[in-house]
Amino acid sequence: MTSEAELDWKDIIHRCFRCGYCKFTYDYNDFNCPSYKKHRFETYSTGGRLWLIYGVINGDLQWSENLANVLYSCPTCGNCMENCRFEKFNFLLVDMIEAARAEATKSGFCPEKQKVLVERATNPEMWNPYGEPNSDNEALKKEYDLPDEAEWVYFIGCTSNYRQQNLRDATLRLLKKTGIDFTLVDEHCCTSPMLRTGQVDCASDFMNYNIARIKNAGASKVVTSCAGCYRTLLKDYEKFGADLGFEVYHTGELIKKLLNDGKIKIASNYDKVITYHDPCHLGRHMDMYEVPREVIKQIPGIKFVEMERIRENAWCCGAGGGVKIGYPDWALEISKERLEEAKETGAAVLTSMCPFCKTNLSDANETFNMGFEVLDLIEILDQLDIEILE
Amino acid sequence: MSNVEVLSKLEEIVGKDFASNSPEELFIYSQDPGVSHPRPVDFVAMPETVEEVQQIVRIANEEKIPIIPMGGGMTLSGLVIPVKGGIVLDMKRMDKIIEINETSRYALVEAGVTSGQIISYLNEKYPDLRAPFPDAPPSITLAGNALIHGSGYLSQKYGDHGAMINGLEVVLANGEVLKVGSCAMSKYWFTRGPIPDLVGLFTSAFGTMGIVTKLSIKLFPKPKFRDIVIGLIKDLDTIPELVLNLTKTDIPEDLMVALAEKPDFMKGYAILMLYINGDTQEELASKTKILKKMYRKNKATFMKMPPKYYDIFLEQPQFAAKAADFRKGGGFEYVGSFMPLEKIPEAIEIARDISLKYGIVPTQVSRIIGRGHAVMFAASYSFNRADPEDMEKARKALHETNEMVLNLGGLPWKAELGGQKLMIEKMDPNYKMLLKTIRNIVDPNGIMNPGNWEV
Repeated sequence: MTSEAELDWKDIIHRCFRCGYCKFTYDYNDFNCPSYKKHRFETYSTGGRLWLIYGVINGDLQWSENLANVLYSCPTCGNCMENCRFEKFNFLLVDMIEAARAEATKSGFCPEKQKVLVERATNPEMWNPYGEPNSDNEALKKEYDLPDEAEWVYFIGCTSNYRQQNLRDATLRLLKKTGIDFTLVDEHCCTSPMLRTGQVDCASDFMNYNIARIKNAGASKVVTSCAGCYRTLLKDYEKFGADLGFEVYHTGELIKKLLNDGKIKIASNYDKVITYHDPCHLGRHMDMYEVPREVIKQIPGIKFVEMERIRENAWCCGAGGGVKIGYPDWALEISKERLEEAKETGAAVLTSMCPFCKTNLSDANETFNMGFEVLDLIEILDQLDIEILE
Repeated sequence: MSNVEVLSKLEEIVGKDFASNSPEELFIYSQDPGVSHPRPVDFVAMPETVEEVQQIVRIANEEKIPIIPMGGGMTLSGLVIPVKGGIVLDMKRMDKIIEINETSRYALVEAGVTSGQIISYLNEKYPDLRAPFPDAPPSITLAGNALIHGSGYLSQKYGDHGAMINGLEVVLANGEVLKVGSCAMSKYWFTRGPIPDLVGLFTSAFGTMGIVTKLSIKLFPKPKFRDIVIGLIKDLDTIPELVLNLTKTDIPEDLMVALAEKPDFMKGYAILMLYINGDTQEELASKTKILKKMYRKNKATFMKMPPKYYDIFLEQPQFAAKAADFRKGGGFEYVGSFMPLEKIPEAIEIARDISLKYGIVPTQVSRIIGRGHAVMFAASYSFNRADPEDMEKARKALHETNEMVLNLGGLPWKAELGGQKLMIEKMDPNYKMLLKTIRNIVDPNGIMNPGNWEV
């Protein structure tokens, strides 16, 4: 018998009953779908979107700018996948929305703002969605005295390399401190912005390029500080038929492993109250909830407090799925709600493990004058003494 | 007024973001998850206040535009799909829990408050109280459920949820606000009598009498523990007497008889789902002991709940929507009906035959209401939304079940248009005459969900 995961999404999409569980937190305390909470028309729930897409497949609806807008007004945070009760296909909900975005793009209805991401990433001067001149990372290799070949590649990711250099540099320093054998490559966009916005035509070329670069560096392991790259490398490359041939770690996993294996020890205190925001691409998309918390708990002096909505139930930061570029004001509103929730914990530091979450949370922190120190967990670790035990 | 002008007026009232006539909104609001054919909608609006509802209704009345209030949109029988076009008023932005009165035990809520919202709110702030809600997704509204004479939790002990309404605030077709129940003359929304009961005018009226904007509903004490005592029934004819005897004890909090021929081992049995509660485990054990004895005396067999099903059966609300995937097709609809208890064995058999005739696995539930004064008998028909023939079979099964219910002396509940037509054919002429007269007075321009209850 064919499992749902093997069926074409077009053969499953009509199975959504539009019952509405997908809109809620697990205890129905609030709407946890950022899009439904904002727009409130049924159209903007996941069920509404699936019915619209099915309408297009059936010929009852035509692609239009407005329909594309409904489809793209979703940060693909995956809350719907967690709360949908239809276990045979709930894990495919975001995939179906992304597949429908690809159909919209084919039909010429990818919104202009989201198109820019790929126009920039495919520009040979850039290879990144931020429109910055491409960094081949040679200068960084020199600065950090990195070899041409190594066991590990640190896949920086475009957001860290072009917008959150502080996180990039903190990661580089931390990796150096831990003593692992690593290097950098001339990476191109991991393809996350393409896949999340349905612009998939050139994704395979980018994947093959990145894989080749990593293999050329002789690496058997990749570590990335970006939740989006991590999800894409681990989940999407395989879907596109790419053969990785190397292991992929998030920085959180690597640090946790080094701590647990007794290879490093955090040797100074961090005497602040912090709370942790679960990035959707790390949490709901990859089921990684415990790793960052385990690392946090090993930091001496730290006071860790949790927000009300955490782990599978976390409120999205609002940046993903092309929302940050497509609907920048709304993206900030979503982050504002997260910051307000963080405020209730009494934390002074809001930490996460995703440069894109950090960007959006920091932007909202500044725009709404919320007074947090917004830091990636790696940036916190970078401030501390790390003792090498072996 | 042109469509452009109407939209512009709606936008002025509710804000640009909450009024629409775009093809996407019209598509979604032209259908519900049941098997009704889509019907066209002209506008969708989401008011936030009673004043906004009044303004919209005044325009609709002046322009003779049909107006259809929608709660969760989960009746499955197409009651909020316009019959004659018009404005669908999605009430879910009116989502304030205004008051919880712990002493007189009621909740005063706006029409868009969902069952999920009240469950969560009471759990957090009033853990000793609970609200009546059905085994429907948490996105349904308390008001919508009560106003269609819904049933579900606490119905065995306290009656259907329509009977639990203390009072309503309603916007009438002329835009005036009416209060019915004690709130008509008191600041307490604690009772619907002792005055002429006008709440009844708005229940099961499907929005034809006015637009309900606030609802006061009874709350009930919440014992610390809850459990389920399962029984298996082989001889369906024993059901009425068994139910009568069980309800004599005053032990069951809720009581249902379910028939599901999948998995296969369930074939040939009806399953008795009896919920009990208590403040101590000893109390539960003692009640269970009495029930076990009663099962034996009444030819039912006690069945120990397999642990893996325990959480599933005790979850509130139950995930009843799972029936939508029985045929891997995203759809089910059921004839719910209010039946006399003595007719349940016959109804089960006939509905089973109807299911088999249309190739649908028989799935039924009989929920005892008010200690057996009525039974909400539901025969559910799953269908595949992607298969028009399958949907047609479900429609035919629903129609035949409506006929069966009426023939046995029951009443279809929240009936779709076809079911309403059958009911009207059977209705006492003077009932029809009075209903028509009242409607003409309350809604002379016929703007309130026209097409429903067309007597």
